[in-house]
Amino acid sequence: MTEYINRNRRQLTWLLYAIAAVALTLFVGDQLAGLKAARIVQTLISGVLVGGVYGLVALGIVVINKASGVFNFAHGWMMVVGGMIFWSFFTVSEISLAGAGLLSAATMFMIMTTVSYRSLLEQRNLAIAGGGAILLTALMTVGGIEWQWLRALTGTFVGAILTGLAVERFTIRPLIGQPLFTAVLMTLAVAEVLHGVTQIAWGTVELNLPIFVDPRTNSRFKPIRLEGLREALDGLAIIRVELVIAFILAIVAFVGFILFFRYTSVGLAMRATSEDQQLAQSVGLRVRVILAITWAVAAFLASIAGVLQGGAVGLSLNISFVALRVFPAVLLGGLESITGALVGGIIIGIVEQFGTLINSSEQVGTNLAPYVVLMLVLVIRPDGLFGEKRIERI
Amino acid sequence: MKNLCLLLALLLLAGGALPGMAQDMMEYPSDLTECEIDLTGETLNIFHFGDLSGPYAFITQPLVSAITDAVSYWNSHGGVCGAELAQIYEDTGGSREAAQSAYDRFTSQYPDDLDLLVLYSSDDGELLREQLAEDEIVSFISAGSIASLYGEDGNTPGWLYASNPLYINQFGSFCQFVAASPETFPDPVIGFVTWPNAFGRAGTEPAAREYCASLGVNVLEEPQFFLPTDTDILTQVQNAIDGGANIIYTNSLATGPALIAGTLVDLGMEEDIKLAGVNWVMDTTVGILGQRVLKSNGLPSVDGMFGSMPFLWWTELANPAVQFVYQQFTLNQRGPAEQNIAYLVTWGAVDSIIETTVRTVNRVGSLDAVTGADIRETVESMDYAVLGGLYQYRFEEGMRDGTMNRMAVLKYANMDMSGAATGPDDALLIDNDAGGKLFAPIVVPLTDFMEVPQLRG
Repeated sequence: MTEYINRNRRQLTWLLYAIAAVALTLFVGDQLAGLKAARIVQTLISGVLVGGVYGLVALGIVVINKASGVFNFAHGWMMVVGGMIFWSFFTVSEISLAGAGLLSAATMFMIMTTVSYRSLLEQRNLAIAGGGAILLTALMTVGGIEWQWLRALTGTFVGAILTGLAVERFTIRPLIGQPLFTAVLMTLAVAEVLHGVTQIAWGTVELNLPIFVDPRTNSRFKPIRLEGLREALDGLAIIRVELVIAFILAIVAFVGFILFFRYTSVGLAMRATSEDQQLAQSVGLRVRVILAITWAVAAFLASIAGVLQGGAVGLSLNISFVALRVFPAVLLGGLESITGALVGGIIIGIVEQFGTLINSSEQVGTNLAPYVVLMLVLVIRPDGLFGEKRIERI
Repeated sequence: MKNLCLLLALLLLAGGALPGMAQDMMEYPSDLTECEIDLTGETLNIFHFGDLSGPYAFITQPLVSAITDAVSYWNSHGGVCGAELAQIYEDTGGSREAAQSAYDRFTSQYPDDLDLLVLYSSDDGELLREQLAEDEIVSFISAGSIASLYGEDGNTPGWLYASNPLYINQFGSFCQFVAASPETFPDPVIGFVTWPNAFGRAGTEPAAREYCASLGVNVLEEPQFFLPTDTDILTQVQNAIDGGANIIYTNSLATGPALIAGTLVDLGMEEDIKLAGVNWVMDTTVGILGQRVLKSNGLPSVDGMFGSMPFLWWTELANPAVQFVYQQFTLNQRGPAEQNIAYLVTWGAVDSIIETTVRTVNRVGSLDAVTGADIRETVESMDYAVLGGLYQYRFEEGMRDGTMNRMAVLKYANMDMSGAATGPDDALLIDNDAGGKLFAPIVVPLTDFMEVPQLRG
């Protein structure tokens, strides 16, 4: 018997997983059997839409990982910083010229000195930096409540770029060539620093971010009610507009990044850098610049996610925890896969919602189901659903 | 937001109980015990730690502000029996590990001074219950869970003392209110949609269900949990409704009640399903965050939400305690988000600490000689109107929580500030800086103070 088990260990393991999967399917099917179709459709809609937001957050983590191999634990706090910057520009009718000027100047300084601080000695670069700073300052300080979106988007863009570049310049760049684990630990330190900075700058009290607001009624957009399907579904299902907007933005970002990584030289360079930074540098790729762009892009993605999350439930330090909930999605989709981030996010969103539908009292949806699914997938595909299989020559 | 501050000030002035208050400095409202021992040259530290940056931040930040303002007030008025008042605190971010570290640090750094500690959350209370008893440190908390105050068996009083009634007892008094209001709550069935921590779970115990059932109020067995980071809780709310609930009860804060209320509006069920909760749902922040979604009558989604109010509220200006705290709030130029429950009751907590300390020092002979056991002896022998009447402080016969509660409803002020608005047309709306309009939240008490049922088993 022992010999048989030892000889067929792999097959038996698969058999056990198959039995577990069938049992799980039967259990879920049994739990859903008595429910109205409307509940199942509603849960599916909520899962997909919430999953889209998870996907957007996951995308930022994947972009960093894809380019640098670093798993960014600070992503949640980059979301908070981005959301708070947006709030600062969105809810104030007049922005201080000095503040906006300083922010623009600092950002342009960081951009122009990405390769070297000596770059600023060239008159042409200095002129670009000055012109850029003036333009950004003008956009951020344009007066009147009707321009609040322009001010907020510009401010968030500038703030995100500055955050991303600063994180890369002062924490990640000095670690080029060092073990990746060191950089991963550094992101934990960055998370704590951003936590502290946010607390000092914006406090810890919940902030209202009224972006999903119908200007006619001054209240949140009314959800789309699927009245036409009420009879067929034996109940009402609704679609929340803010989640649809977040989902559409996520899809746009995904398509953009897939094209970016596949067809642009910077995208290809990012992929090469993630394989081996020293090797990439030795073949003439500017690793510093590539990493800087990556972190700036990830910070901007984090900011978008922070604004969307903050607009949906309010802006607080708690939204940093969304990134923790997204980790299963990242691992499920594959650490380096853009498509995987979206698919993983949606799968986790759906699993969470159905877990909650079946048993909310034990938090099956948030605490158990995503991890069971993750476990099952990783056993079958250790690199995630869309992860790249790594083959190393020994 | 400045406008909102002004508005709240106007609302308070509209109470008609503040003639010239802004100009005349009020006397401290408490009838404090006379100092028999001069403590000049000594320092009386208020120790506290907890979540200042996580889900409880909206409560705890005003708490810190209130202690800061109280410390400043006392030190500018000669201190406590001559001793300088100070605070020592730490942010734990809502993490149990950080709370344990903070406790270890406090007890090792201040082994002689730390006889009284203020905690913020039931979770921390449960974590530290046994250690506080072992180290003989008294702890004040606004409200705790059964396990934190009375142990797992519900009958072993510890070293934590809560000013508010237990959350389960608050829920019991809500059931009393529901049973006594059949017109408002016909065939009542309550479903919990709540946070999953110790605070959120309070009231979901079988004892609470049995008590409410004895009053003719059914409570669903399965609570529905959601997290502060959830963007969509349609599934949880629909689970409760499908289970038969026509009242949703929540132990959550800030965005929690607002999210539930918004979901009910999304489902078009705001008239069919009543919303209620623990005392924290009556907070100003909920009134502001609840404005993201408007009901079909044009008022914010949380308009009409019921909740416990076991202390006085900012608008009850006939009471000198409220007048005094409001004056200090104004003098210290605190922002509108801080004009909440925590700021108000924390002034009471500081007053309780001072009174307890003075009585203990008078008995023991010096501040240095005071031990946790001495403080405990004082606490259990007191019957004290905190800050002259903000709430009562009485922990005799093994009681570890407040015993009085009343029910209230969250509403929005009408245009002439004479009462609650019935719709957007007669509501008081003010411009905010972002070009939008804000309704002004008010809390309207519905009952007198009454004894809460004791449901801890």
